[in-house]
Amino acid sequence: MKRGVKRKNKEIVRYTLWERVVHWSAALSFTYLMLTGLALYSPRLFWMASIFGGGTTVRVWHPFAGVVFSVALVLMSLSWARCMWLYPEDRQWLLNIWSYITHKEEGLPEAGRFNAGQKMLFWLMSFSGLLLLLSGIPLWFPHKFSWDVRLASILVHEIATLAAIGGIIVHVYMGTLAVPGSLGAMAKGKVTDLWAKTHHPRWYRRLRQKGLI
Amino acid sequence: MGTRVLETKAISATPYPLLGIREVPEVLEVCKLIDVSICIGCKACEVACQEWNDLPVSETYTHFGSYQTLPDLAHNFWNLIKFKELENKGKLLWTMAKYQCMHCEDPGCLRACPAPGAIVQYTNGIVDFVQENCIGCQFCVTGCPFNVPKISPKTQKVYKCTLCADRVESGLEPACIKACPTDCLHFGLKKDLVRMGLRRVKQLRDQGFENAILYDPPGVLGAHVIYVLPFGNRPEDYGLPRDPEVPATVNWWKGPLKLAGNIMMMGGVALALLHYLKFGPMELVEEKRRGAPGEKRRKTKE
Repeated sequence: MKRGVKRKNKEIVRYTLWERVVHWSAALSFTYLMLTGLALYSPRLFWMASIFGGGTTVRVWHPFAGVVFSVALVLMSLSWARCMWLYPEDRQWLLNIWSYITHKEEGLPEAGRFNAGQKMLFWLMSFSGLLLLLSGIPLWFPHKFSWDVRLASILVHEIATLAAIGGIIVHVYMGTLAVPGSLGAMAKGKVTDLWAKTHHPRWYRRLRQKGLI
Repeated sequence: MGTRVLETKAISATPYPLLGIREVPEVLEVCKLIDVSICIGCKACEVACQEWNDLPVSETYTHFGSYQTLPDLAHNFWNLIKFKELENKGKLLWTMAKYQCMHCEDPGCLRACPAPGAIVQYTNGIVDFVQENCIGCQFCVTGCPFNVPKISPKTQKVYKCTLCADRVESGLEPACIKACPTDCLHFGLKKDLVRMGLRRVKQLRDQGFENAILYDPPGVLGAHVIYVLPFGNRPEDYGLPRDPEVPATVNWWKGPLKLAGNIMMMGGVALALLHYLKFGPMELVEEKRRGAPGEKRRKTKE
């Protein structure tokens, strides 16, 4: 029993320093991009441009922040692509996503280091990030591209933005309110034994089997 | 170019009501008429434009095989006669047509602009750029179906023909009109000039130019610069786009997509908060049997 208590509060490394640096670089640049982008997206939100130094300043810096975000996303993909790979059991998870949303565990396969929802979010953000980068270039250097390319870029940039913001709403909600402990995990890099066992049992088991914890 | 006493009709990126409360007795829409059939390509309008607007005299490009001053309009060159050497029925057809901002009734630049007050449309039809509010994003360049606005590499702001709003405001005609020696350029009220243009078109048709038209593109709800084109079936020969209109993309982007986006973003946040109120945070489950080996080994709970 005593051992159990100790075990339960033991901390497990979930994210390395590098993973956290990359994550927060992406998070900060994304936040800046989202707020400055929204300022230019809607005149009713143009006031947000003033927070960041006015319309011209925002127009100048937004693409550079986009470069930072793209680099962070590439680094993130390099370190996580393997854990984010979708396997057949993830299909099962996604089919039963409603049980996850309603906090029932029926039909949900045990999650590895990331559950299928996290994986989907990762790919949604990566894919929309790629589209945002590709469509952002003609918006940054309009004189280098044809009219049709620029028009298409505007459309793609907006649609990819909406997809990414949709994803980020879910991500921020899950990471802060919905799953206590996950914000701390991304901040300190550690979770408790019980947290790991509850949310990512397969990952936890693997670490135990490998004798890493 | 700065605040004017002119009454405004539309301001870029401004969903709120305009400030005008004065009763304007009659909206007098101004217009430029360019009768291409009697343009001699003297470029007096180009010079007058540069002079009045204090724009520098740029070096003439000579290496692109045309009589034209520059290949295209520039941030400091707002009025350009386009010259084209073409063939018509085996004979040389040398076209020359003054090109500048069309001052569209439905300006694509103004629709696309995200900076409040950077583009203004006055009730008299003039569409003007207010550089102090311009952020240099060049969405207007993409929104314009005539490819008119040009960015200055020095100031990173966009410039174009103002239809000499400063002169018009003082009751003068635009500088280019003043300079034209052949009366190919006219300035006045739109309704008068449309009538004048149609009369000239009829005259041209009677003279054998059976395709002559008055070019006043309906795709932008008409313009405040209209042309008499002898070969109206081939507007491209005068450097004018065929059937120009505000790009559908711009209308989608500023219309339904934005509405859908707003609903999605606000709905997303609302749903997340609602989910929290209904289901609360995910709890750590100790007693639940999840089959983890660590769990099984410790059957007893404290």
